[in-house]
Amino acid sequence: MPLLKGTLDALVLKALSWGPMHAFEIGRWLADRSAGELAIEEAALIQALHRMEERRLLVGEWGVTVNNRRARYYKMTAAGRAHLRGEVESLKSSVTALTAVLAARSA
Amino acid sequence: MRMIPDDIRAGVRRLFRLPPGRPEDAHRDADAELASVIDAKTEYLTARGMAPDAARAEARRMLGEPGGTRADLRRSAERRERRLAAFERLGEATADMRYALRTFRRAPLFAGAAVVTLALGIGANTAIYSAVSAVILRPLPYTDPDRLVTVGEDNADFRWRLQDAAPANYLDWKDQVAAFRGVAAYEPFQATTTLSGYGAPRLLTTTAASGGLFDVLGVRAALGRTFQEAETWRGTGDPPPAVLSYRVWRDVFGASDSLIGKTVPLDGRAVQVVGVLPERFSIPGLDIDVWRPLAWDPADRTKVWFRRAHFIRVVARLAPGATLTSANTALQTVVSRLKTEYPATNAHMGASIEPLHHFLAGAARLPLTVAFAAAGGLLLIACGNVANLLLVRAAVRSREAAVRRALGAGRGRLARQALTESLVLAALGGVAGLALGWWGTRVFAALMPHDLLPVRDVGMSWSVLAFVFLVTAVCGVAFGTGPALWTARRHPADVLKEEGRTSSGAGRTRRWGDALLVSQVAIALALTLGAGLLVRSYMLLQHVSPGFEAERVLAVTLDLPGLRFDGATRINAFFEELQRRARELPGVESTALASSLPLSGPPWSSEFAVAGRPPMSSGGDVVHRELSPDYQRVMRVRLLRGRLFTEADRIATPLVVLINETLARTYFGGEDPVGLRVAFDRIPDSASAWRTIVGVVGDERQTGMGVPARPEFIAPAAQDVRRHMTLLVRTTGDPLAVAPAVRRSVAALDPGLAIASMKTMNEVRAASLARDRFLTALFLAFATVGMALGVIGVYGVVTQLARRRTREIGIRVALGARRWQVQWLVVRRGLALSVLGVAIGLGVALEATRVMRTLLFGVAPADPVTFVTVPLLVLLTVVVASWVPAARASRADASEVLRAE
Repeated sequence: MPLLKGTLDALVLKALSWGPMHAFEIGRWLADRSAGELAIEEAALIQALHRMEERRLLVGEWGVTVNNRRARYYKMTAAGRAHLRGEVESLKSSVTALTAVLAARSA
Repeated sequence: MRMIPDDIRAGVRRLFRLPPGRPEDAHRDADAELASVIDAKTEYLTARGMAPDAARAEARRMLGEPGGTRADLRRSAERRERRLAAFERLGEATADMRYALRTFRRAPLFAGAAVVTLALGIGANTAIYSAVSAVILRPLPYTDPDRLVTVGEDNADFRWRLQDAAPANYLDWKDQVAAFRGVAAYEPFQATTTLSGYGAPRLLTTTAASGGLFDVLGVRAALGRTFQEAETWRGTGDPPPAVLSYRVWRDVFGASDSLIGKTVPLDGRAVQVVGVLPERFSIPGLDIDVWRPLAWDPADRTKVWFRRAHFIRVVARLAPGATLTSANTALQTVVSRLKTEYPATNAHMGASIEPLHHFLAGAARLPLTVAFAAAGGLLLIACGNVANLLLVRAAVRSREAAVRRALGAGRGRLARQALTESLVLAALGGVAGLALGWWGTRVFAALMPHDLLPVRDVGMSWSVLAFVFLVTAVCGVAFGTGPALWTARRHPADVLKEEGRTSSGAGRTRRWGDALLVSQVAIALALTLGAGLLVRSYMLLQHVSPGFEAERVLAVTLDLPGLRFDGATRINAFFEELQRRARELPGVESTALASSLPLSGPPWSSEFAVAGRPPMSSGGDVVHRELSPDYQRVMRVRLLRGRLFTEADRIATPLVVLINETLARTYFGGEDPVGLRVAFDRIPDSASAWRTIVGVVGDERQTGMGVPARPEFIAPAAQDVRRHMTLLVRTTGDPLAVAPAVRRSVAALDPGLAIASMKTMNEVRAASLARDRFLTALFLAFATVGMALGVIGVYGVVTQLARRRTREIGIRVALGARRWQVQWLVVRRGLALSVLGVAIGLGVALEATRVMRTLLFGVAPADPVTFVTVPLLVLLTVVVASWVPAARASRADASEVLRAE
């Protein structure tokens, strides 16, 4: 499913609001929650993560997975949390608006 | 980017994240991340039952084009690291700045003292620099102004250098010196002219220029045209043309475009406005509203006065390829030719050349430079003080710095922080100084006498702003370096080992502090010496007698329009009636008339001859004035020989003249000049009528209080009629109290007449001292602030000294030392340093004050009185400043001091 512009950031932040994850985990989390509708390519996801880290919405740190592998874990920052809140608000309202328009029947 | 692991997920161990920094590190980081995701995906797919090989192949599919994804990720990771590193540096700087501001808030006295100190130094420099920039640095508002020169006449006999030139000589230079591309002239005096028909009669300033002046300067009219070369001569325009200044066009004529080509009545005569000059145009020292062409009579070219009357300023533009030297050589050839061709007028007359800007800024250059140097000295003292304050703080905070270093803060980091602190301080001082300087510039522009500030627009320009920030930055670095280096260099162990004892290990600070103290005392002394010399000179000037009594005299200057007052009879009648009416006013004691006032600049000068005697070799250089018979009685000028003028000396009676004491002494020696007949050249005609000397009167100083009287001829105003006259009113009380009544009398007599100026003779006297007063006040202010800052510096250093030796003092007191002995211990060092500072300051001042010689009156630059009293005063101040902390230290209770350590 194609994503609306800017939606990916909100989705990633939403995933991270549950706790630090590495890139693959985030992808899986999104796919699981959307019953496979949101399949984001890992390469694009990593680039998005780098970009968001640059904007200091997240911080990345090397950590060790449950399977004892090294992975770069991302954690949401306070700025990220604030950004998420704003994005959720605006996405919700635009979805409501879109739904209202698209669901309108001719009278 | 350290992160406190507050919500670690189960089973995840955190590792330190090493900041990659370099691009290669970022690449490695990106590669590792990609590999880890591939691994994770492989793992995931395998767990879902895929064969491991297939799973890995599937996972690697995301690499896409060989190297494609990898390269993308490397790029984004590199970018991320670069941005984060930049932000971290910025964060550090912000943190340093915040830290600095926080420490200042915690020590407001320290910060306040430093900021005020700096603000004073920077403010003074800004204000002075604004003036320097407007007068000396800003190029003249002409085309290629550095190719413009002035040519003036030199005469060793008269001590002339670059004097105003005679018209005939100017014309010869213009025609014969090929190194000049264009030569022009103007009359460097402001005359007044009455404009009627535009509201109330209004006086405008006016002067005359040769037709080519604006072309030579490279100035184009903002509107209409400027003059043409032919207009230098009479008969080329009827009505005569005039060019207006932008300001008059805007303020008086309402900026009307249709004014060009119209005629306006000036002094009742129609002139045609042909153009308006650009807004930026000005000639330093002149403030002209209306420019007229010289309009010389071509018949005068061959007359002797044309070569003898010196009244025009000559401006030339160097030809392409010509230099000042080559032009001067060419000029000298012409000058020597003129000497042989016209021996009667030119035998002793030379000429020289100087860059125009240099000449026009001339009188202001030295005082401004000296003031600027003084401001610079003040700033140095201020910087020294702030450096001292910072050193003291650095010493106090050495433990804090040591602890921070021991905890891993790098040397560079600590030095950077100390430097940030001083830069923040400098910035605060700079902003406060800028505000002070902005205010000071306006105050200066208002207070500075015209001869110090011969230009109109002085303000904070970009160059001033740039200058202030440069000064501030240099200050910050200069006084930050010491503490910054020192903080960084010391080994933490050394500092901590001292365990708070401040008895040793501070050698470097002490040496720094000592050097600062010595230089502060030296500069403060030099400033105070300069101020001392100016004060002495000013006091002497105040006691000079100008030759007249200035108290209770009102001077009312009038300019009668030529059209309505077109003959001697009419002019004389007007002034007689005016005097009669003025004398009847209550509070008026007596009245007189004068063509020019003493102390107001040199009046016309010319040469003269004595009947029956051979011409003098040097011609004789005398000034002349026209006065009414009562003048000497009104102004209280003594009659030394013969008689004064009487009402009987009129147009029809034999021509008479008075001479002043200096003329009698210079040209007649012991001989009685009364009864001798003399003739002097006048401008513009050379009808050298013979006049009989009837008396000798006391000298009045013509140019200024500090300039001796020049030889002077005085003619009766009734015989030598002038339209521009000053009515002098001696009053019984406050002269300004009768001013309104005098103004009403003038208006009643002739409603169309504007009063050119109205002031008391005391004001005239004060105005002639304006430059000296301003410089003296400025220096006194600088010296006072400099000394105050110096004293604070000494106090600070000695306080530190006393604090360092508290323990020692405690022990000495405990062992029975006398209080004065202990005090001497501390004072001695401050005093020794101050004596060194005084010695250096004396040396510097002896050299520096020599340039002030021409600014001083009656005082030698190395005036012994000043050079003995001031250093003693400074030393006394230093002793007091260092004794206070010493006394406090000696009062300390020994047991307490020792326990405290």
